[in-house]
Amino acid sequence: MEFEAVIGLEIHVELNSATKLFCDCPNNPGDEPNINTCPVCLWFPGEVPRLSRAALEKAALLCLGFNAELQPRSAFDQKVYYYPDLPKGYQLSQAHLPLSRGGWIDIADEDGTPKRLRIHHIHMEEDVAKLVHEMEGRLPISLVDFNRAGAPLVEIVTEPDFRSPHHAMEFLKALRTQVRYVGSSECSMENGTMRVDANISIRPKGTNQMNTKVEVKNMNSIRHVGDAIAHEITRQSMAVTAGESVVLHTRLWDPDKKVTLPMRAKFEGPCVPDPMVPEIILTKQEIEDLRARLPEMPAVRAERFVQQYGFSAEEAIYLSSDPEVAAYFEAVIKDGVAPRTAMHWLTTQLIPAVKDRSQELAQIKVTPARFAALLKMLSNDEINANAAREVLAQLFDSDEPPEAIVSAKGFKQVSDRGALDEMIDKVLGEQAAAVADFKSGQGKAMGFLIGQVMQASGGKANPKIIRELLAKKLV
Amino acid sequence: MDSIFFYRNSEKSNDSGKGALQKLKVAVQPNISVKGWPTEAGSAALADFKALEDAVVAERLSGQGANIVGSVKMSEFGFGLKGSQAGCALAEKSADAELMLDVAGEARLAAARAGVYGFKPSYGLISRIGLVGLIPSMETCGILAHNIKSIRDILQTIAGHDERDFSLPDEKMPDFSSQKIDPKKTTLGIIEEVLKDLPSGKRKVLEKELEDLKKAGFVIKELSFPDYSQFMLIHQIVGSVEASSCTGRYDSVRYGRRAPGAKNWNEMYLQSRGAAFGTLLKSYLFQGAFFQFERYNAYEDACRLRAQLVSEMQKLSAKADFLVFPTHNPAASGTVDSLADLYEQFVYTAFANVTGQPALHIPSTVDAGFQIAAKRLDDGRLLDLGDYLLSHRHGGKS
Ligand SMILES: [Zn+2]
Repeated sequence: MEFEAVIGLEIHVELNSATKLFCDCPNNPGDEPNINTCPVCLWFPGEVPRLSRAALEKAALLCLGFNAELQPRSAFDQKVYYYPDLPKGYQLSQAHLPLSRGGWIDIADEDGTPKRLRIHHIHMEEDVAKLVHEMEGRLPISLVDFNRAGAPLVEIVTEPDFRSPHHAMEFLKALRTQVRYVGSSECSMENGTMRVDANISIRPKGTNQMNTKVEVKNMNSIRHVGDAIAHEITRQSMAVTAGESVVLHTRLWDPDKKVTLPMRAKFEGPCVPDPMVPEIILTKQEIEDLRARLPEMPAVRAERFVQQYGFSAEEAIYLSSDPEVAAYFEAVIKDGVAPRTAMHWLTTQLIPAVKDRSQELAQIKVTPARFAALLKMLSNDEINANAAREVLAQLFDSDEPPEAIVSAKGFKQVSDRGALDEMIDKVLGEQAAAVADFKSGQGKAMGFLIGQVMQASGGKANPKIIRELLAKKLV
Repeated sequence: MDSIFFYRNSEKSNDSGKGALQKLKVAVQPNISVKGWPTEAGSAALADFKALEDAVVAERLSGQGANIVGSVKMSEFGFGLKGSQAGCALAEKSADAELMLDVAGEARLAAARAGVYGFKPSYGLISRIGLVGLIPSMETCGILAHNIKSIRDILQTIAGHDERDFSLPDEKMPDFSSQKIDPKKTTLGIIEEVLKDLPSGKRKVLEKELEDLKKAGFVIKELSFPDYSQFMLIHQIVGSVEASSCTGRYDSVRYGRRAPGAKNWNEMYLQSRGAAFGTLLKSYLFQGAFFQFERYNAYEDACRLRAQLVSEMQKLSAKADFLVFPTHNPAASGTVDSLADLYEQFVYTAFANVTGQPALHIPSTVDAGFQIAAKRLDDGRLLDLGDYLLSHRHGGKS
């Protein structure tokens, strides 16, 4: 029998707001353990949670980025369970009245056709503390770091619209791009600011059955999510073919062995409304004000790049997938560089160079203005491509303007026709054989002659002008 | 050993010489934080816990010149009055007023016991910062005093917006200032279902009191509230579920006493929490956990029914300006050994915790106690009625 998979994702995204969700502690979980704590996030007696407006806005913008409908009324519930990483016996989460409902992300299917993957709802919740298990001599001990306790999270719960690992991976990539665009999170699975659980079931292809699902956790890259889903589909298909039934449980992905393994279920009770955190009321006006703060989203921007700059869809999507790259590109264009030149040099030279140096585009000394100045010299034939690459390397370490580096290094192209005329005449006198070859119809002799003139100029001659002058002289 | 006080303030008295509460001696309970004071809330769960900062109510009292003289022995987390000395400091005149949380009617019952006034303000008027509570949606800071003026002065001092307490409803603070009551324009309601449960002797005394008030010009209306008995049930279910999660933080991980010898965290939780809570509270927490995990639908029904009771009570408020109740249940047993015993004591008070409306116990010759209630945020008017009744009695009887 042929099976098809029915997959839904639950994605936790750690928001990058300055403070935690219910207190003013810095939202920096990586700091020295327990430095970012206060009586509120340690849940001392008599403390009252105070919902952070900034975190709420980060969450709301994220929702709007997915075309989700912000709810006029949402509220926090208590997810009750006892574990030392949870400082009050319940986690504040929105179980009954989530922040938003609906929404979607459009991706390209395996064969390139557009597919819309729907979101069921998005809710806010607080993160829990981090447990560190150590040995004190021969005694196993557990240490609790409350820096992360109360950090703001959103959980994006999708509809079971996914049918393949490809869908899940494309969805996550697009989700990451969009969340970075609205500026709500870095969304890095490697750093734990995005965590993905996948619910997977299988059914005979072409039916509408909703079968028992298995939840898979512990993937720490988008690739692992794809691998884990693929493995789970195979595992379930084999089990069902062998006549076994799938039971509801949770499995952990083992990235080394590339298998999913069953885990012991954590006891969890139902959620009761929290009596302390007031309901979140969002007026129409507030929602419209938030919407006005949304940046141009990646899909819209890519479409504009196609229309405005004549890029191919692939080029436009690549350029718009990272908001910083897109913004950098547009800043360079604004300084008068041709879009195609800017795109080409940004993607083939600058970004690889930034990566090589393990730096961030936003932090490098090569500001859009300096990069644009360099590219303009190239476009105006003041320097050639080789020189431009060398100057670019210098720009990473120097504060000097690119023009100064060009003159200091003597990279300025020789475009003076008188000087070039002399050089060409000298080369033509020495290379009689090549001249004869050219005249007998061997076109490649032209290239050789240009190369000789370049050499004579010490690499500074403008190749375009050489070709033009040579062509005239050889007629 | 001090028989009334859990902790006495040994520092010199507040002599700032200004403020509306100058020279007023106020006792609190050790679930109201005063910086540096032991704040154990009557529970081993908070053994040796000292408050890190003043509760907003304590800070505002001191700001108006009041002397916080100490904290009075209390029941575990202020639930019921078992082991509580609430009101005794007033009776022996070592305090002029006392603040205590009113969870099911404790402040009013303690006042009745001590022969003083006991006031439960409207829900949402007083900052919760620094109050070590048990049932957040039902409790508020109650005020006991020898007279209405002290209650009003304290209410005006401690009530009102607090930028740190987002749980206070975003609404305009009512005017608590004193105004005259005109009996002829004032309707007092008495609920038939409340009267009918009183033993006939006690009922006659209350009816006689109402007759007196009628002579003074008040309009007395008998009203019907067929679902009155539901208040107890709703308080029990919703209250126990909230108490169960509210005490979840006492896990011995960050503070409190950790039971020694546990082999893993699960044992640590069971042993530490097992040792932290008393039998009565433990059975309440069990009950809450039971409703939460095993009878969630009943809990949801209780929440819906609560909203219904609130709206039924609002309808009664349209028919009468104030409602009259007894304060304590003459049928309640003297000893409290079970949740049923405990709840029996609050038959006539818990309604106000369920609805969030203000209620005031007034010392009187009515042996079941004389309690009046108003609609939510009518606290000022309720105190006006208290003032009137006091002067009426003095004019008529003494
Ligand atoms: Zn904090």
